[in-house]
Amino acid sequence: MKDLQYLVLRKDDLSSFITHLSRDQKVVAPVAKGHGTYSFEEVTSAKDIALKYIPTILPPKKFFMPQKETLVEYDLKSGLEVNAVLETEKITIFGVHTCDLAGIQCLNMVFSERPKDYNYLFRKRQITIIGLECNDYCDEHASCNIVNSNMPNGGYDLFFTDIGDCFVVHVNTHAGEEMVETSKLFKNPERSHFDAFMALREKKKQIFKNEVPIEPRDIPELFDRSFDSEVWKDLETKCLSCGNCTNVCPTCYCFDIIDDINLDMSSGKKYRKWDSCQLEPFAKVAGGENFRKSRAARQRHRYYRKFEYPVAKYSRFFCTGCGRCSRTCMAGIKLKDTLNALIKERMNKLWIKWL
Amino acid sequence: MKKPKVAFFDFACCEGCQLQVANMGEHLLDLLGAIDVVEFREVMSEKWDKDYDIAIVEGSITDPHAVERIKKIRQRSKILIAYGSCATIGGVNGMKNNFELDDARKYVYGKQYTFFPSIKTRAVHQVVPVDYFVNGCPIYLPELVAVLKAALKGIPYYVPDYAVCVECKLNENVCMYERGVGCMGPVTRAGCNSWCINNGNICYGCRGMVSNPNENGAKDVLEKYNIPMDLVLNKMNMYNKCRELKDNE
Repeated sequence: MKDLQYLVLRKDDLSSFITHLSRDQKVVAPVAKGHGTYSFEEVTSAKDIALKYIPTILPPKKFFMPQKETLVEYDLKSGLEVNAVLETEKITIFGVHTCDLAGIQCLNMVFSERPKDYNYLFRKRQITIIGLECNDYCDEHASCNIVNSNMPNGGYDLFFTDIGDCFVVHVNTHAGEEMVETSKLFKNPERSHFDAFMALREKKKQIFKNEVPIEPRDIPELFDRSFDSEVWKDLETKCLSCGNCTNVCPTCYCFDIIDDINLDMSSGKKYRKWDSCQLEPFAKVAGGENFRKSRAARQRHRYYRKFEYPVAKYSRFFCTGCGRCSRTCMAGIKLKDTLNALIKERMNKLWIKWL
Repeated sequence: MKKPKVAFFDFACCEGCQLQVANMGEHLLDLLGAIDVVEFREVMSEKWDKDYDIAIVEGSITDPHAVERIKKIRQRSKILIAYGSCATIGGVNGMKNNFELDDARKYVYGKQYTFFPSIKTRAVHQVVPVDYFVNGCPIYLPELVAVLKAALKGIPYYVPDYAVCVECKLNENVCMYERGVGCMGPVTRAGCNSWCINNGNICYGCRGMVSNPNENGAKDVLEKYNIPMDLVLNKMNMYNKCRELKDNE
């Protein structure tokens, strides 16, 4: 551990740090919205920030790919005039948990693929990320251990770890270093800080255990063999197709592009908005054919987009274990339950074979 | 390009949707730049005796006179737009269909009820073909503008066939079920940008149901959250009673 990379910030100084940052940029952080829910919203001091929070209603992806975003504006009055639109602002996101850092890393991979998504990539350049370590599970819906996302794994400029009366701060990038230096609030750590830090990391190993009885490396094979599983039929009866699970997912990125002409009938814009594979019209094409007509097929697709397809394409799960899909589902479709049911069904089949 | 002749009509309704249009503010000027309003009882006295390019109809069809009148309007109009819940799904007038017609007539008109013929409440498309729908009670003005633009372009407008929850989630509202309150959002068609929930109210289902609601799943959800079924059914029927009408009724 290089000392230079690690600093400490007293908790009493957090407010000064946030105020310092908010002078020349928008600072967003988790804020309590009541009824046990939180969302990333603009703050100007630390008193609005919920340092202990469960994953926000929407993940921080909303700052990277806004719910609705204009891509081009056009005018047909004198020929075809088309202008690309890019609306960005300087934002610092404070308090991003490791699951959401993993989510942003997934989106980075997707939008960096050719053809590159410049709106996403340019916006990303304007965003600095300050991570915040989870010392314990947020609630029973989290499954971050099975997807290896409860320890910091890059993807941030600064990373805060709460060790009591102060934060141990990992400085990961030049942008992070600049924030630290200009604020003049950070000190070099003492031996005791490191001891507390290491003790916390040790303790976390005891707290976080695989949430479902399977080794992560066996998950893709489980899905390989579960395409015709009965488990999906059970989801058919439960799912309301409200799209909550995908809208709140930190790695779902599907969007639709809408052509919006103005009343003058010659100028207009194209904008994109979030779409969801769970919605009835998502896979409906001209002629009325729907390639994923049943809710079971749509739910199955969602799970495969988290645990199977991205493993083949990007060599990582696109589930970050944040638990948002389980938390938000009115019908009580829970990710851990689904995985458990798949595992159980698979085990039963194996037993029958052996007997 | 000649501006299309547009007329506004009302049947059984509160004329609140017309009021929405009249109160549109600055955007109304943009709208009037694109269309020529030739008839609009709420804001002008003039009438038009030729054909209409676009007829915009508010209100539901509740008696034989209305049936005749809407048929004539349909004959004179190239495009017919139904707007507001009363016109698109029958709306609150549909509650009449909970009763025997004669009982409803007696209750409203007393002894002289036989002078007032009545039929089961229908949405406009249950009587004459409708080209475009602007749902909502009242209409959501951005959607009216979107539909008008589609009509002027001669292209279809697709009312979103997914739940209000989609827009509600994008607006990052705290879910009403989280608050322990029954909300029609999960089975109601989106397109209003979750207007009511954004302002702290529940969804009343005024935009009609999605085409393929999971009714059994919705029942399970109510049970899970301990919300009485009949309470929600009543709420549903407040706007959506007319969906039960058969073709021959």
